[in-house]
Amino acid sequence: MKRLAWSREVYFAGLLSPAVLSVLLILSLPIAWLVRISLYPQDQSYDLSGWSAVHYIKALTDDLYLESLARTTLYSLIVTLGTAIIGFPLGYAATRGRFRRWKIFFIVLPLTLSLIVNIFGWIMILGQNGLLNSVLLGLHLLDRPRQFLFGVGTILLVLGHTYLPFQILSVMSVVAQIDPMLEEASASLRGNRWVTFRRVIIPLARSGIVAGSTIVFILTMSAFIIPQLIGGASVQMYAVLVFQQMMTVLNWPFGASLSLVLLAVALAFAALFRIAGRTPEEQTGAVAK
Amino acid sequence: MPWQNSRLSLLGWALFQLAAYSVLALPSLVIIGASLNPASTFSFPPRGLTLAWYVKAMETPAFTDSFLLSVELACLATALSLLTGTPAAYALQRYRLPALQPLHSLLLSPIVIPAIVLGIGLLMFANLIGIGQGLAALLLGHFVLTLPYVVRTLISSFSLFDVVLEEAAQSLRASRPVVWFRVILPNIIPGLLSAAIFAFVTSFGNVALSIFLVSGSAATLPVQMFAAVEHSSDPTLAAVATLVILVTGAIVLCIDRLANLQRLI
Repeated sequence: MKRLAWSREVYFAGLLSPAVLSVLLILSLPIAWLVRISLYPQDQSYDLSGWSAVHYIKALTDDLYLESLARTTLYSLIVTLGTAIIGFPLGYAATRGRFRRWKIFFIVLPLTLSLIVNIFGWIMILGQNGLLNSVLLGLHLLDRPRQFLFGVGTILLVLGHTYLPFQILSVMSVVAQIDPMLEEASASLRGNRWVTFRRVIIPLARSGIVAGSTIVFILTMSAFIIPQLIGGASVQMYAVLVFQQMMTVLNWPFGASLSLVLLAVALAFAALFRIAGRTPEEQTGAVAK
Repeated sequence: MPWQNSRLSLLGWALFQLAAYSVLALPSLVIIGASLNPASTFSFPPRGLTLAWYVKAMETPAFTDSFLLSVELACLATALSLLTGTPAAYALQRYRLPALQPLHSLLLSPIVIPAIVLGIGLLMFANLIGIGQGLAALLLGHFVLTLPYVVRTLISSFSLFDVVLEEAAQSLRASRPVVWFRVILPNIIPGLLSAAIFAFVTSFGNVALSIFLVSGSAATLPVQMFAAVEHSSDPTLAAVATLVILVTGAIVLCIDRLANLQRLI
């Protein structure tokens, strides 16, 4: 009997280990090497040797990088809040309402579609010869084409649009588990629909909003392709600065430091979101199956 | 719905949803429109219908070569993820121990690690161990990127598959490989297929990791499109993007037929 239990453990360890070991190695070794690179004192990509924290000091004291970090964090919070406000009712309706199948299709398609396709579409909508200009000129609301690309508002719009499906799906996954009986019970106790929504549904769906917000926040913090293609040089989002240091300036140690600062801030906020979402969730956890 | 107290608010709510879904679909619709428009720069309303840009796309080696590389990479990454992810998902679902929770989180963690950090790290690491940029480095990145989707999808498959069937086979002295190949795998084929398709689409569309890991001579399709978007707004690109939209859309519909899409996300 004892031998049987042991072999069961070995069996499950054997099933788990290929995936666990490969993820562990593929994540930890490159990030460990990135930490090492960030601690070289040089400002280049060759002849690296020695140890120094000089790049972290620059990343955390230079106004350009600090301001970019603050702005990027602010933008990420705006996009997160915006997708939560729009995504929650959409996610709720897509779980409970009519036309579910088609709604889910239109939520999942942009998510699985390559990011670059989405960006290309927005460039054709917002560009100087784009759809928006054509329509506005045709309606004589503009007398000459305006450039809608290359601004903060546009970047936030495209970021929000791209990441909204994550928020909707995250809400759907928890709303699907809320027993409709709870809503009916609240209604039968003369809670009007707004009270039901605020006192029953939102508290029960809180964990989904928190999970979706965490993903959207991290994705926005680390976005560099959308800011680069939609924003041009006008907005220095943090991940764009990291990209430039690594791929254009070729100052690897500094770029590595910036990328790790970005990782630390993103994970710190993810932890904050988690704490913020926890307390009432535990109170109601027994009700939401 | 909670706010449908009056007809007016009901109408407003319906319009809000209609607007939201239209905006979600808008970029794709504009691309499809532009790909069929004979004008060589974007124009609205369209000046006619043509398939010329599709012909031109097929004749552009930069697009066809990168398409083949993307397909090859996505197939390899999907195969690796399924081979390692299926047994892992099974173990996580069947052998529930609090101690395994960190392993579960670890397998899903590539979703929340910023792509720019993982991309740069993999690039630096590939240079360190001498494999450099190219297919091998891309494969490492895409493998960890697709694994979370496989694990998550299959955990939900296994939770729906009754363990009693396996125990019955075992009590009839079926060996573990026989249980796997004759009982477990045939019963989770829909889950396996949707996991495979999800992994494939995730890898096929990825640009944030790939941009660091492609070699100068061979880019994946999204990276090729990234370079093309930066330099021009040629309708050939719209034709390529439309093909990507149609293929992805068809694949998403396939998953929906195979398994309840909502349950998998």
